[in-house]
Formats: sequence, C-alpha cells, structure tokens
Amino acid sequence: MKAPALFIAHSLKRSRALVLSMGILLSVFQVLLILVAGSIQRSGGFSQIAAMLPPFVREMMGPSIATFMSYAGIVSLGYFHLSVMGSLVGLSIAIATVPASEVETGFIDLILSRPLRRHWIITRTIVVLLVSFTFVLGCMTLGTWIGLSTLSPAGVVRPSVRLIGMLAGNLVLLMLAWGGVALAIAAGSRRRSVAGGITGVMALAMFLLDYIGRLWKPAQSVAWLSPFRYYSPFDLVMGTPLPGKNVLILSAIALAGFAAAYVMFSRRDISH
Amino acid sequence: MSDLSAVSIQGLTKRYGGFTAVRELNLEVAPGEILGFLGLNGAGKTTTIRILLDLLRPTSGHAFVFGHNCQRNSLRARAEIGYLPAEMSIYPDLTGRDVLHLFAGLHSRPSSLTLRGELQERFQLPDRDLRRRLREYSTGMKRKLGLIQAFQSDPRLLILDEPTEGLDPLMQEAFYALLADTRRRGGTVFMSSHVLSEVERVCDRIALLRAGELALLRTVGELRDLAIRRVRVILNADTPPPSELPNGARLIGADARTLTFEVDGVLGPLLATLRPFPVADMEVGEAKLEDVVLKYYRGGERQ
Repeated sequence: MKAPALFIAHSLKRSRALVLSMGILLSVFQVLLILVAGSIQRSGGFSQIAAMLPPFVREMMGPSIATFMSYAGIVSLGYFHLSVMGSLVGLSIAIATVPASEVETGFIDLILSRPLRRHWIITRTIVVLLVSFTFVLGCMTLGTWIGLSTLSPAGVVRPSVRLIGMLAGNLVLLMLAWGGVALAIAAGSRRRSVAGGITGVMALAMFLLDYIGRLWKPAQSVAWLSPFRYYSPFDLVMGTPLPGKNVLILSAIALAGFAAAYVMFSRRDISH
Repeated sequence: MSDLSAVSIQGLTKRYGGFTAVRELNLEVAPGEILGFLGLNGAGKTTTIRILLDLLRPTSGHAFVFGHNCQRNSLRARAEIGYLPAEMSIYPDLTGRDVLHLFAGLHSRPSSLTLRGELQERFQLPDRDLRRRLREYSTGMKRKLGLIQAFQSDPRLLILDEPTEGLDPLMQEAFYALLADTRRRGGTVFMSSHVLSEVERVCDRIALLRAGELALLRTVGELRDLAIRRVRVILNADTPPPSELPNGARLIGADARTLTFEVDGVLGPLLATLRPFPVADMEVGEAKLEDVVLKYYRGGERQ
C-alpha cells in the first residue's frame, strides 16, 4: 500500500492550491451573504424585494417565496447561487479530468511504468474528489457558522444546522455525480480539454434543462434526466426533509460514472 | 526460452484499425545483454516498448519480462523494469528531489540513497540542483534526472528511449560508463536510439524494425562484417587490374599503380585474387555499422 498511498498523497498535494483557494473563496462568499442578509433584515427590505420580483419568478417559486425572502433564505442562497454551483461543477471537472491530462502529457507513462495497478489512477481521482468536496463544503459551512455567530442581527430567525447540513450534503452528492460523469469521460480521453469541454457543455445543458423544466410544464417530462433535478434547495429551505430519492439517484449517477471509469481505463490503450 | 530471457517477444502484433504498427515481432534479449532497438520514426519501436510496459495491449502475440507476461502479470513484469521515456513529461513545478522521491516510492524495489548519490555524482546533478523546480532545468538536466530515476531502483531490466538525447559529450561518456557497469553487474538494457555510433559502441546486438517488422537482428560484430569496406591497393609496378573479381568485390577506381575496391563481406577472396600482383601496400577502411544500418533503413534488405 506504500506506493498507492504515496501516489494519492502526491495528487492531493498537487490539487491543494486550487481546493484551498476555492474553499476560502466560497467561505468568504458565505460570510458576505450573511452580511447582506443582515443589512436587508435591519432595513426591513425582504417584503419589498419579494414584491419587486417578476410574476413568473413568484409563480415558479410558489409559496416558498415567503420563506426564501427571509434572513434564513438569503443565508441559504450561498449553497445554490449560480456562481457557487458553477464554481463547484468547474472544480469537479478540473479534478476528475486529471487522468486525461496525465495521458496527454505522458506523465502517466512514468507512473504506470512502475508496478502500480491501473485502477489506482481512478481510485486516486475519486479520493481527491471526495477529500476536495468535503474540504470545500466544510469551509462553506464553517463560513456560514462564523458569519451567523458574529454578524447575525439580534432576534433574527437563523437557518437551522440541519438545513445547512442537508444543503451541503445534497450539494456534495450533486458534485460527486458530476465528478463521476467527468471521470467516466476522462477515462476514455486522450485530451483533458476534450473531456472537460464535453462535461462542461453537458453540465450547462442539464442545468438549462432543469431550469426550463421548472418553468415550463411540457419540459418536465424530460427534466428528470438532469442531475440538477435531484438538488432541490427551495424545498429544503421550505422545511422539506432531504428526499431519499435525490440521495439515491445522485449517488447512483456518481457510482455509475466511477464504475464506467474503472472499466474504460483498465481496458484502454494509453497513448498520447 | 521466454523463462530464461530478460525480454521475450513472441509473434507480437499491434494494429490500430487498418494500420499495423508492429507485425509478428519475435525477439529474445538475454539477461546481461545490451540490445540496440533501432528503426526510423514510426517503425514500431515505441509501440513495442509501450506493450512491454503494459501501456498498450497487443492485438495478438505475447511479451514477457523475465518470464512474467507483460499483460497478464504486468505488475511483476514492471517490478523488474526501470524506464526512461523519450520525453520527460513531468509537472514543471515539481523539484528534482520530488520527482526522484515519487518514482522511487512507486517502485517495489527499494531505492538506496547510496546508489542515488552515486548516480548524482556520475551525472553531476548535486542536491543543490535537485532542490530546484523542473521549470528551471535545461534539457540536459531533465535527461540526467530521467536517467537517475530509471537507474535508482537498480532494476534488472532498463528500457531506455533515446537515453543520450540532450546530453553533452561528457555526460554521454558518463552514461556509457554507467552502461558498462550495469552490464558488469548483469543488468539488461533494451535501448532505443538514433545515434548509430553510440549503438555500435555500447550494444551487444542490434534489432532493427522497419514498418513494424524485424528487418535485422545481429550482433554488432556480425554487422561490421556485413559492412562494405574500401580497400586501396598500392602496387610496385604499372599493372592492369584483375580481369575477374570474387563475389562481393567491385573495382571502383584504378590508375597505373593504385587500385581501389569496395568489398561486401570478408576480404579473403580478394586477397587471394591479388596474390599474383606486385602489392607494395594496402589500406583497408574501417567497417562502419552505419553503412549497413542505413542500407536497411532505406529498405529492400532483410536479415
């Protein structure tokens, strides 16, 4: 086990700058959101903002609008804001496409010229994905906790620890699902840009599919295909418990992606 | 044979769609041997090396390293190998020490710091340089680092792809000395190179691939015998050239007292033909491996 452990440690070390900066950035974002939420709360502006929302948005959000347009709702936004989701999907792709990059540069020739089983290339990537998302989501929740502890106006209703935990857990599963998809594509690719590009376009298409599915009833019949469908932050903010179906489907996508990556990488010719 | 050989390649074929990179290759490398693996670009050398490392899977045939099947028992096979790729593609932000530490740790054979120190000394790559990042390394320094990482675990088989590419003449000498020591210790070297003078100097045998097929497999000595040599004969008196020449000899120049021949093969029959002639002196040009190999490169010739 010495060689695989060394290889995993080497890969974690290589990704530390990216993961560390992402963790710090997103935790700062949580603190800033709490600052903004506190400011709106003090000025009593939540009801005014809700009234200013376009009718289609109000229709889409339904009764959750009242919950969302609150201090707790805005604080929770840090777990499903478009920029946060985009950054995390980007991080997923960046980590999961490392095998394709190693094939492209030829670095893998030296690694696999040593007596190391091929599956360690995939196992290592999964470990880095798990560690990275645990760390980044850990930083985000830490940011939320620090923000709430130090910046919350007195007497305000804060989001519960359970809600933040469920949002973070559901988000980790969503990112692991995208990690699985990216890893499966990367395991069969010789170019990182190709693997990353395909996954990026897929993620964007699936995000739009889910978005359209929420706005336009006819699109709902195909919206179930989107992994984003199984991350429902509004329902969680409304107090609905994390649906087991979401956990199951996102886990299944991640596991299917990882399994496909193992099979493809073990069978492929490695040439750059 | 495969159990005894350091490398045994049996009926190896690798196809990519309609293109055949290696066709029915058979090759045995004995332990302690240094084999020069030659061929023009695209001849199939790298494909063969990648199959030995289990990076590529053959379409048919088998390859063995010390009796271990390179595909079915690839971990055992790779445990015997030290590999130097043609290009050292390593992250430029790593230091030389990181690289040596990583690749020593990934090998199942323990690396000794004493051996690493000796290699550093041979290739003049001190600890001070190993603390620098690879982005600051010159091509030659990267090559030296590559050689150290290949040799540092003291593997039984070294697969070296263009080992002296980018090395200065002094470091090339250091490399040749290392190869000589490796041979003395019983190590086997499977070496791809385009530098024919180097192959002639360090290799015991030469395998030449052409369009994926083995076109030549001979010892360096045998190849020298195959080389065309130029023989200049100086005569004591004006004499016409011989009317008949043995097979393999050709008159390429003649004046009153000097005859120049090209001889393909052994010199004996020509000397017998010249016995009646008033020979004052004779110059025999050195047989050049390059002449033979280039002939095979150009095509048409087969072992």
